[in-house]
Amino acid sequence: MKEATLRQILVVTDGCSNSGMSPVAAAALAREQGITVNVIGVIDKSELGEKGETEIREIAEAGGGLCDIVFPQQLAQTVQMLTRKAMTRTIHQVVNKELQEILGDSGMTELAPEKRVQVAGMVDELGEKSNLNVVMLVDTSGSMKPKMSAVQQAIHDFSISLRSRSGQSRMAVCSFPGKGKHLEVRIPWTEKVEQAHQLSSDLAMSGITPTGPAIVEAIALFEHVQLPQSLSDRYRDAHFEDDGEGNLRDHVF
Amino acid sequence: MIMSSKATTPELPRHFHGKWNRNEYHVLRELGRGANGAVYLTSRGGVKQAVKVGFEGMDLLMEVHALKSVQQGRDSRVGPLLCDVDDLVINGKACTFYAMEYLEGEQLDQYVQKKGTEWVPVLIVQLLARLDILHKHGWVFGDLKPENVIVTHSDKQVRLIDFGGVTKLGNAVRQFTEEYDRAYWHQGDRRAEISYDLFSTAAMMVRLSVDSQTWQTSQGEPRQTQFLCDIIRKSEGLYPYRVPLLKAFHGKYATARQMRAEMLAILRESTASAPAAPAQKQSPAGAGGMWISSLFVASMLLLAGTLYYAWFL
Repeated sequence: MKEATLRQILVVTDGCSNSGMSPVAAAALAREQGITVNVIGVIDKSELGEKGETEIREIAEAGGGLCDIVFPQQLAQTVQMLTRKAMTRTIHQVVNKELQEILGDSGMTELAPEKRVQVAGMVDELGEKSNLNVVMLVDTSGSMKPKMSAVQQAIHDFSISLRSRSGQSRMAVCSFPGKGKHLEVRIPWTEKVEQAHQLSSDLAMSGITPTGPAIVEAIALFEHVQLPQSLSDRYRDAHFEDDGEGNLRDHVF
Repeated sequence: MIMSSKATTPELPRHFHGKWNRNEYHVLRELGRGANGAVYLTSRGGVKQAVKVGFEGMDLLMEVHALKSVQQGRDSRVGPLLCDVDDLVINGKACTFYAMEYLEGEQLDQYVQKKGTEWVPVLIVQLLARLDILHKHGWVFGDLKPENVIVTHSDKQVRLIDFGGVTKLGNAVRQFTEEYDRAYWHQGDRRAEISYDLFSTAAMMVRLSVDSQTWQTSQGEPRQTQFLCDIIRKSEGLYPYRVPLLKAFHGKYATARQMRAEMLAILRESTASAPAAPAQKQSPAGAGGMWISSLFVASMLLLAGTLYYAWFL
């Protein structure tokens, strides 16, 4: 378990999907392939609406992850907290499964609280040391424009959080909708986001929010997943190479 | 299963007992909500205790793990004493909770607002002593902010509450608040180091010494500690402490004890020289003035040194 790799997709959005397959089904598909889906709804003055809130909750539920709805100023700390808590939960589930084999069906709940405290310490340590791969999936439909500087800040900030971990961490950033496709890879897998990326320029100002298809395509970024040829051609090309030092100077938003 | 990151807790029954240890609790009222759960004031056999409940049991148990390993001597308490860890069943679902000593007191910022800013250095010096103990046990507090520090009614002692951010030295900080987070101020990463807490302490001292409007002006983009330095320069209360504050911002202290010693020296100095202050104003060229200006030069040299250091890092 020391070499465990945790995989997460983090969706940052401000509204309902309105194109392509259901994002809830897409999240379930991701979970099926060992990827946890977390969702953050970013709102400013305008409310997300009941429908938006329900969708966010359902995506996280289906994806085995967590969700939260926050103002742009809270985005950075929410990204870190959600990611960490989802990791804890995943490891907890794995540990619990092992315990069930020893203790029977009820697993951890059979343990006295005192013992569980020790398990918690162990889960915490495993979380710190395990490898972590996160794809941030940013909604760049028109209404997100005023929130982009906060998103940009959060991306850079998240990179600092990841670097502070003991385990190996990588992140990638994608936006949706892309130009003529569902997803645009903005920052390929990297251990360090150096630049403050200009997210706000070059936004696809369409009203289309293909959250579901974007999640499905984001799954393709995880190397452990077997891909159909069409997706493999699109997402596993040489043009994802960086300059060899992990610095991605040319990938500007 | 609850999926929100903010542990949503169900309504607690008016009284309940633990599944394992069978302790009986009467719920009096809700005290507040943290990132990991809700805290209630309860009565257990006539003794007031705070009970924290959360649905994400693991997160709560990690807090207990930290709280337990710093169970402290009677004279050197860092946080509340841990009293009980157990499960209770709400709507057929087992929920983990823990009970701790109920610290009756006031939140640090509210206390200062009521009693005046001259309390700030005193309370910060006290806080540094608490942090030093925590650090010696191998933990970093992490989410240091006025809301997580309490001044007790009975003995005016500073105590830390909400151990949700407490992190083992060297690991990534579990929880933070941007205003007091050194990474957000571009002064380092989020590895749990002693200097991480000391940065937060210094930022908090600035926050407590000025009104919220002045504090807001420092929150502009891009975030730079220069903003904090501007506040310190203009604030009568903070100016004497500029050297330790600056050193804390730049991670120059190896221990909380060191920072505390330097703060305490200035605090003693200022209380001792307070009656002489008007005289100094009348004769700025006197010995007092000389002393102040040489201190100023020294601090400027130090600032230059740290800036040089920070620039080339």
